[in-house]
Amino acid sequence: MEHFDVAIIGGGSAGLAALKQLSNLEKQAVLIEAGKTVGSKNVSGGILYSKKPKNGKVNNVEDVYGQEFVANAPLERLITKYILHATSKDKIFSIDLTSAHKYQANFGYSVLLNKLNSWFAKEATASAEKQGGGIIPGVHVKSITWQNDRTIVETNELDEFEVKAIIAADGVNSEIAEMTGARNKFTTEELYQGVKVVVKLPEEIMEQRFGIGPNEGAAHLFAGDITLNHIGGGFVYTNRDTLSAGAVYHYDSLIQKPDEPYVLVNAILNNPMVREFIKDEVAVKEDIDKGLPKEEQLRTRFAVSKLVKTWDDLRHSYYSPASRAKLIESGKYKSETEIKARIDSIHQELSDKYKAKFLTDYVELEYSAKLVPDGKRCRMKKPYNKNILFVGDAAGRGIFVGPRIEGLNVGIDDAVRAANAVARSIDRNNFTHSYLGEYYTRLVEDSPYTRDMKEIDKDYLKTFLDATKDVPKDIVGSRYGMIFRLMTSGTLRGLAVGFANILGYDRLLPIVESVETYVQVPVEIAEKAGTVVSSTYTPTIPTIAQRIAKLKYDDDNLSHIKVLHPKNEFMKKMVILCPTKCYSIENDDVILQHEGCIECGTCAKETEWRHPRGEKGINFQYG
Amino acid sequence: MTMITSEGSYRHLYVVVEHEEGKPIPVSLEMLGEARRLMDDFNKRYSSNEKVVAVLLGNNVRKLCEELLFYGADAVIYAESPELQYSRNLIDTKIISEIAINKECVAKISPDYAERFKKPRYMFFAADNIGRHLSSTVLVELESGLASDINKLVIEDLEIKHEHKTKGQAMTYAKTLEMYRPDFSGFLWTTILCLDNRNPAIEREYHPQACSIIPGVFQPLMRDSTRSGIIVEHVPKLEEQDLNVKILSRKIIKSAVDFDTSKAIISFGRGIKDLPEENIKLIEELAKELDAEIGISLPISKKPYIASETITSKYMVPDRVIGTSGRRVSPLLYIAIGISGAMQHIAGMKESEFVIAINPDENSPIKDECDLFIKGRMEDVIPILIEELRKQKLVMEVKK
Amino acid sequence: MVSLNTAVIIKLEPDFSEGNVSYNSDGTLNRAETKSILGPHSAVASKAAFYSKVKVGARISVGTMGPPIADYALQQAQLICDADELHLYSDRIFAGADTLATAEVLKTGINKMEGGKMDIVFSGHRASDGETGQTGPQTAWKLGYTFLGNVIDYDIDLEKRVVIAKRLITLQGFYDIIEEVEAPLPVFITIDPSYKPVFNTVSQRLAFVKYQKEANERAQNYKKYLKVFNAQQLGVDPKFVGLPGSPTIVYKVEKIPKAKASRKAEVVDASDREQIRKVVMRMNEILGGMVIK
Repeated sequence: MEHFDVAIIGGGSAGLAALKQLSNLEKQAVLIEAGKTVGSKNVSGGILYSKKPKNGKVNNVEDVYGQEFVANAPLERLITKYILHATSKDKIFSIDLTSAHKYQANFGYSVLLNKLNSWFAKEATASAEKQGGGIIPGVHVKSITWQNDRTIVETNELDEFEVKAIIAADGVNSEIAEMTGARNKFTTEELYQGVKVVVKLPEEIMEQRFGIGPNEGAAHLFAGDITLNHIGGGFVYTNRDTLSAGAVYHYDSLIQKPDEPYVLVNAILNNPMVREFIKDEVAVKEDIDKGLPKEEQLRTRFAVSKLVKTWDDLRHSYYSPASRAKLIESGKYKSETEIKARIDSIHQELSDKYKAKFLTDYVELEYSAKLVPDGKRCRMKKPYNKNILFVGDAAGRGIFVGPRIEGLNVGIDDAVRAANAVARSIDRNNFTHSYLGEYYTRLVEDSPYTRDMKEIDKDYLKTFLDATKDVPKDIVGSRYGMIFRLMTSGTLRGLAVGFANILGYDRLLPIVESVETYVQVPVEIAEKAGTVVSSTYTPTIPTIAQRIAKLKYDDDNLSHIKVLHPKNEFMKKMVILCPTKCYSIENDDVILQHEGCIECGTCAKETEWRHPRGEKGINFQYG
Repeated sequence: MTMITSEGSYRHLYVVVEHEEGKPIPVSLEMLGEARRLMDDFNKRYSSNEKVVAVLLGNNVRKLCEELLFYGADAVIYAESPELQYSRNLIDTKIISEIAINKECVAKISPDYAERFKKPRYMFFAADNIGRHLSSTVLVELESGLASDINKLVIEDLEIKHEHKTKGQAMTYAKTLEMYRPDFSGFLWTTILCLDNRNPAIEREYHPQACSIIPGVFQPLMRDSTRSGIIVEHVPKLEEQDLNVKILSRKIIKSAVDFDTSKAIISFGRGIKDLPEENIKLIEELAKELDAEIGISLPISKKPYIASETITSKYMVPDRVIGTSGRRVSPLLYIAIGISGAMQHIAGMKESEFVIAINPDENSPIKDECDLFIKGRMEDVIPILIEELRKQKLVMEVKK
Repeated sequence: MVSLNTAVIIKLEPDFSEGNVSYNSDGTLNRAETKSILGPHSAVASKAAFYSKVKVGARISVGTMGPPIADYALQQAQLICDADELHLYSDRIFAGADTLATAEVLKTGINKMEGGKMDIVFSGHRASDGETGQTGPQTAWKLGYTFLGNVIDYDIDLEKRVVIAKRLITLQGFYDIIEEVEAPLPVFITIDPSYKPVFNTVSQRLAFVKYQKEANERAQNYKKYLKVFNAQQLGVDPKFVGLPGSPTIVYKVEKIPKAKASRKAEVVDASDREQIRKVVMRMNEILGGMVIK
């Protein structure tokens, strides 16, 4: 049997960081990823942070990949504006929370994970190869067993092999955690369901619309009626030439009143401010005159398609300085004016000759969804099992504090700590739980991120409240009035927070994270103090069938999920809550059609849930 | 012009026979049938007495030799040994080549022609997995030419003018075997000839003129147990180094696609090209309605269009090809969709009871091979058929 | 010390995939308009050779007989199998060669490959054009190598110096057989188009990635690995190559005449709903024997 020092399971940002860190420490590690390529199964809400906490230190992404990370990695935009909007129908009250976003942060960049993780993989592979390790995509781990002193990894695709330690970075639905009994599956109270779409928007049009420069970006958050009465919030982030638009919801809020994820994301898209954010000029082909001879119909159809594509591509390039420069460099066009002229002339030809119409609408590129763990509620207190260390979402370590949602940076920090712990164990050849697992647990406890999952940071709270100082206090009513007064007073705040931390998050959370806080308060604020935002067009929102049709899959004829309780209430709700409608009811039983599964884990709690076999399943293009 | 003859050196038509489980495989009998017809005509035309000689290798194959006589062979040369139980290229090539130049065997079969005999005049092999490779190696050993995948044969005296072979001069090559092979589209015939070099600079004799023959093309003779002939045993030289391939196991596998028990078969061809994925899905739906198995034409097995992984790996595979390079089917109902009707495909389905073709082009050859021709594009026709089928199914159920 | 010397013989061919190939209106191939690429069967043979490199670190040489532009096929093959050496046998006098004459050139070339005697030579099942499938076995015979055809899977036992291969044999009128054979090196393998290499250990997968990366780098500078041989450099006897060395010639090419119609078709127009209804009724009759009025 072959043997290696470390197996890292899961090629997301955390797993890749673990591989890079272990290689930095000159240790051999092999990363196993089920997707066809790294990144094909990753989805991110959208922002990667690097932090500098006042107390303690975290391992940031640039610590792992080098200071040239920012210059070299395919990051989208540096977020320089961070605004929360309270919504009620067409009224919006905006609160600038940029200070909260910048709190103890070096930077926050919008990201698209397929691109970013591919880059991480390239970097990590280069280092790992030197140590005799590397990345193996297309392999799905089936089981981990311990025989005498040996740890055996079994997969669907490879001969089994032996390792000394394992870092489990396989995400919120961690099969490793479940298979080895390291923890229970997360409950609906402990999870959020996130759903988003990637929208196409030309670069400079975006910059003008959002009021940002070429090296800047904006993050817009939404709370109020936009969430259809669910606890959660919407977001629109600017990427280089796309937008990530979506929402994140308390999963149990969805369980209590199930709404289809695509309906929820549509509610975000239909908000007048968001409509105005996402809009662009879109060409609509006219129907071809059926009276024409068949060959001519065909020729016309091809000609129009080709022209529309050329117009669209050229226009997109025109609004991107980099693409513009490339076009001129290639010699195809002599100047920007010439490019614009060509665009206009195609526009003319399409409308005059082919009667095509140009409407205001939006272009959707990819629909996706993922579950996110709420670290406050479900982080593993001891994130290990024997010689397996759990990092990031697999360990239930997502940060949710009000508008602050972070996962990528936490995973990377965890990964470095895990890598360091494993390296230490390799040096001493000691993988016992006291030397490895417990040590890692202590390292993780020390992380400032863990502190954020345990207690309220009063400085963050202050920053948040200062930002909201323009919110008319009388609006929030008697319930919160008292709290507000407490919080705005410097002396009392310290006491209040201290008291709150004694009470503990669990007691506080139901009060704070409630429909009242997330929906009613923002609605009231918007109603009373908001301004009307109107949108002049109605976006053509794709149906769920159209969204699914656009996704790319490698079908596996074997179903990777088994329905255990076809008649119970939870499963009946899956018919509504599965983002790609994989569940339906036939003769009172809930049945599964696995082909459309995007592996979000929404149904994981009450099914035998696995990822598909290696290379099979969803392949996200953007992530 | 001078006619250089190698008269007397090259005689007879040798047919290399394949067999399994004590029976000749069908193409062997087909080859004997065609060989018989060719040589009967040859002997009449040229007033000669050349023979159709079957060549047979195996273990315990003596009894099979009679059968070959009943199917048209004048003689059978066989070699027997436990080592020859299963075909192995190296030893088979050696023995067949030995047989091909064995004058003693010829002496027993046709004494008149034995003295100056060097090699066979013509040689046939089956164009199947074994035969195609065997024919290739045997012809290297015999230092002559081979044409593969032949479906038409004519023996003719030809006037040839060729830069190399005849140094540009017109010469007559008598008794030349014209070997016709269809190209992969199925619409063109390329005729191959194996000719001596009569150009003094590169003078060489090339015999036998050999070819491998496509199964299912020619007709075997009716079995005639009154036919008699000469059976000769060739004792093979079995040297250790020629037996170096060990057969570890042999497993019979069934084809994943079961055409034989399907009452209906739907095949599609290049007509799907506008929207391959969608068209195939339509065809799947239609097949579901008719409980039909799905076949393809040969070009499709080369994966010429882009479709999803599932569809490509399920349908664009050799296992589904219907035609001479694939399966032969004879269902009650055969529907050919977007298939133009190349000869090779027709050969695979012509035994079907009732044939329907769906094709927008009324001039495609398939029209002459079907009972019903629906003129239209598949994306227009199939949905209507499906609708109609469902409607009528409902009616049938109501009536029950 | 290299554990194994592997060679692949490949061919530059017209691209027959739809969208790239042109057909004339009568359904025949339009060769003039079709691009030339590494033949798909040659590509599979290259993949088979690559397996030997990943598994045992074999040294790989790729050879082809063709015009000067055939070096493109060699570059593509190198991308697939990380070849250490590329051979192009190119000379006017090779033109017009049939398979026997081609095999003569290839045999001579293979014997000149570096590393000494080749242990395994791979060829594709057949070319997309020509499609005779003869060149492989004929080259094997001239080399004096044991020939294994229709190989769908293979493995190497370096200690015993043997190849274990699975072959697919279709017996017309009977069934298909998977035959497992063991043959001592050197062997010549003609690989079945369905062959897909399986790398099923961690170290093979890592080696795969490593060699693929190397292949990409090498293919960028493929000329560094390329040796071009004309007839003289190859040392072939002109009488045995090209047209002079070809027993067979193409005599003529003609359209296959439309066979006499064996059936008489009733023509139905798709837009005629009533007719379609009758067609479906007929279908049901034939299949179910039920007659619906």
